[in-house]
Amino acid sequence: MQSQKIEEHFIAEKPFYLPQKNELAVALAAYANGLPLLLKGPTGSGKTRFMQFLAWTIKRPLITVSCHDDLSTSDLVGRYLIRGGETIWADGPLTLAVRHGAICYLDEVVEARKDTTVVIHPLADDRRQLAIEKRGELLTAPKEFMLAVSYNPGYQSVLKDMKQSTRQRFVALELDYPAPELETEIIRHEAGIDTPLARSLVRIAAMTRGLKDSGLQEGASTRLLVHAGLLIREGIPPREACHVTITEALTDDHELVGAIDEMVSSVV
Amino acid sequence: MEKVATALSLQRVIPDNQLNEWEHEELIEQLAGYDEQLAKAVLEQIAIIWPVSHALCFAFLEQLHNGLLCLETGQLAEWVKGILHAYEADGLRAARLYMADVENNFLCQLRGESGLTLAEARGRLAPYVRGISGRPLQLEPAAAAATDTATIFLPRDITFYREPAANFQVYKLLTTFQWGFISQDLYCQQQARSAAIHFPGDSRQQREGDHDDILARFFNTFADQQLAQDIYHLLQTLRVAVFLRQEFPGLLRDMQPFFGRLLADRPELQRQTGISYLLEKIRQWLLGQLSGDKAGGPGGHPLLAALVEAVWSGRADNAAIITATRSFYDACCQAGPVYEPLPALLFQGEFRPGEAHRVRLARRENTKQKFIEALAALLPPQASGGEPQEAEEKEAKPPGANVLETGASITPFRHDKAEQAEALRQPGEEPRFICLDDEHLKLPEELRDLAREIEEDLGGLPAFYIASASQRAGGQGKSPARGPLQEEGEALQGGLLYDEWDFRRQGFRRNWCRLHRKQLHAVTGTFVGNTLEKYRGQIMQLKRQFEMLRTRHLFVGRQRDGEDVDLDALTEACADVRAGLVPSERLYVRLQRDVRDIAALFLVDMSSSTEGWVGTALKESLVLLSEAMAALGDRYAIYGFSGMRRTRSEIYHIKGFAESYTDEIRGRIAAIAPVDYTRMGPPIRHFTGVLSKLDARVRLLIILTDGKPEDYDDYKGEYAIEDTRHALIEAKNAGIHPFCITIDRQAQDYMGHMLGEINYTFINDVRKLPIRVPEIYRLLTS
Repeated sequence: MQSQKIEEHFIAEKPFYLPQKNELAVALAAYANGLPLLLKGPTGSGKTRFMQFLAWTIKRPLITVSCHDDLSTSDLVGRYLIRGGETIWADGPLTLAVRHGAICYLDEVVEARKDTTVVIHPLADDRRQLAIEKRGELLTAPKEFMLAVSYNPGYQSVLKDMKQSTRQRFVALELDYPAPELETEIIRHEAGIDTPLARSLVRIAAMTRGLKDSGLQEGASTRLLVHAGLLIREGIPPREACHVTITEALTDDHELVGAIDEMVSSVV
Repeated sequence: MEKVATALSLQRVIPDNQLNEWEHEELIEQLAGYDEQLAKAVLEQIAIIWPVSHALCFAFLEQLHNGLLCLETGQLAEWVKGILHAYEADGLRAARLYMADVENNFLCQLRGESGLTLAEARGRLAPYVRGISGRPLQLEPAAAAATDTATIFLPRDITFYREPAANFQVYKLLTTFQWGFISQDLYCQQQARSAAIHFPGDSRQQREGDHDDILARFFNTFADQQLAQDIYHLLQTLRVAVFLRQEFPGLLRDMQPFFGRLLADRPELQRQTGISYLLEKIRQWLLGQLSGDKAGGPGGHPLLAALVEAVWSGRADNAAIITATRSFYDACCQAGPVYEPLPALLFQGEFRPGEAHRVRLARRENTKQKFIEALAALLPPQASGGEPQEAEEKEAKPPGANVLETGASITPFRHDKAEQAEALRQPGEEPRFICLDDEHLKLPEELRDLAREIEEDLGGLPAFYIASASQRAGGQGKSPARGPLQEEGEALQGGLLYDEWDFRRQGFRRNWCRLHRKQLHAVTGTFVGNTLEKYRGQIMQLKRQFEMLRTRHLFVGRQRDGEDVDLDALTEACADVRAGLVPSERLYVRLQRDVRDIAALFLVDMSSSTEGWVGTALKESLVLLSEAMAALGDRYAIYGFSGMRRTRSEIYHIKGFAESYTDEIRGRIAAIAPVDYTRMGPPIRHFTGVLSKLDARVRLLIILTDGKPEDYDDYKGEYAIEDTRHALIEAKNAGIHPFCITIDRQAQDYMGHMLGEINYTFINDVRKLPIRVPEIYRLLTS
């Protein structure tokens, strides 16, 4: 395990992000007061991008951890390694962020086991402390440090729900899919396609989102639309591009696939 | 049929005390006139209709004679299903019409004429229209395309082309066009926009209440209402075509040849004058435009051409269309005295302002109730002893105000008060908050949508909606025991209530089914022993296979990183260092988590149709499965289900998750026997709940069934399939993996739709079932 260098986590270029509403103001206010941030929203709606944008705005490094169900506490905090006959302590991403006053962003935090997420509790309230048990060290986070987590409320599984004791520590921001004009602008920019085409893609997405209770788990995300746009720009005919990026990505149900393709062919 | 026997069987269907004497006499008389088989079939149908509506049942008996002239006995059930559909959709009158028109309504569907029928197109068309509109619009068959804003009516079949795919495109066009009418507010129902509509001769000065229908008032100002409506509808069609050209360019492009074909089918006009000619010329011009022939303006009468061009340019709104209709009408009246209507365009269909208005009123009432209920649920119940203050407050409310005052001065007991609820509303902005005392609570999405809908319809949120809600919230607080359910009394005794999905309304029938839990008493017998003997070889093999799937839960040593130090490796490394060697860096142990944290619930169909071979095979497969599971150690449970009607859905306890596989359980498996019908929704919903509460990484709901969901009442066909499908989707959304193993020979038609194509398997040879079930389980979980 190589210890990570904090410099690698600075975001050099301004990420493309168009605010949906007041999220930047809220996040900055939370940051100024040392409050942790919870981003809610469907997949592909811009949560990660927003974090990058925030990190760039406040000129702090961003350390992202994609959570999974095998993520252990030492994966977050750090562990001893032996190298060349000596034991070396290697900071985990969370410790690294605390030491250097970075933003630690736990993506899809509900995927991590509940006992793992407990380690962030003292960091997420006014103590702002991280206990490193193995070293007997108690770190207090500097003012620059920020904790942020994200989760997708769309997966309404009992097991994948956040504990109240965890979620009640956060300032919660909901990032839903952007409003149509905004989403058009985002896709136009990200995929490099013209506005009418971007607008058509947004309309298709809106239609699939309307199917959410009729068999689809989620509608097409902004990210999918960008993918469709990229393929179209590469010369794939629009209907085919939408079929492979949107229709097939959303469902395996034969009839729904048919219906979504019909929507696509109505619009483009 | 003998009268005494008839009376007896009738009594079983309708209790004597529900019929008066002469009704009873007449019914017996009628039934006695049929032969035994027919009388039995009719009685069966009466049993279905009677609980739905007595009046409908009498109407049915009245029409039965006519119906039987064209129907076979075997078709009776289908016919009744259609009648109930019509009844539930539009009430008794619609059901009567349906019955009276047995020839058209029913036989055509059965004959299966060429082309694509709406029933065939529906599977794809329904999600399509839901997607493009974002709301639960219904699709119903009718003579011509039309809409009343809640339902899109479509022709029963489309026969333009030989290929179903091409005909489907026509359906798609009709549906999209009718949705265009709804979205563009054909019937002027959006308050904010229609407030701007003025026309000379408007009989009502004050329009705030809007109890009247703007369009009705408008058309009343014309001498020839038919002509005025046709003009209005045609102009709106142009407007919608403009809208579709913008929003659905792909569709219009695809359909260009079809528009050309429609154009060729339009009637040739002998006379080049007259009102009909003027209108027809515009229709043909529109078709020409849509078919891609861009040349020229509409021509003809210069004023009309100008009006049409104005609409076609896309700048017209409803107010402009109203004005244009008037000018158009006046110009037409100069063209000739007589108006002979020509058929409307196919996609334009019928204009039904009256129906749309009725739907609007019904929707308004419905939204109002829903809003009040939802808001009442949100408001805290009133504190005890609050009654006098409540009365006081009611008086203090300014009557008719759109927005209530904050009311700080009304009562000092503000913190207990719900009446201070106030919807904060800025003009043109949707209400998002509700102000309760000093707190601004964000409205839940559902309520916000309702509030927006109400605003769109009425132009504001009437104060009495909020007042009623707070009254209701207060009322519930005072006597919490008096919920709507308990009022039914004994009906609630025993059993759990479950919702049922009604696809026609795209919503749940709340607490519709009652589910009873029953024990299955073990029987001693040779069944299990025989099965074990019969499949001895296979069981050995299964056990071996299952053992290989067992949980591995072990520490792996000599890793680069891990939970703990690997002492062996460390010692070795130290030794190496001492020895002057380069030590290994692999000094950790890591816990290999390969936990099979799986909980599986097997739900076995115990409907009467499993009698015989299928039932035996089902039981054998459970024995084999249990044997194999013993080797694996996964948690599993087995339940049977059956039942009759929505009031008696039953599940039979065979093995719980906590129980181990003992002789008692073996005895219960042997005791599985066919019971009644297959109502799949309630047991699936029940076990979804059970499984959701289990803490397991993977939760499986495996359903073993021999066929379609079906119950004694109207839980049949599409309704049953849609409910089952929805119950499975709910399970899936709850993080459970439903899987269906079916032994139906005709399974493929509907299973794909019901289960999503990957979640079922189909076994056509019953004898293979016992071996296949454990195998499927193994594949599912490895």
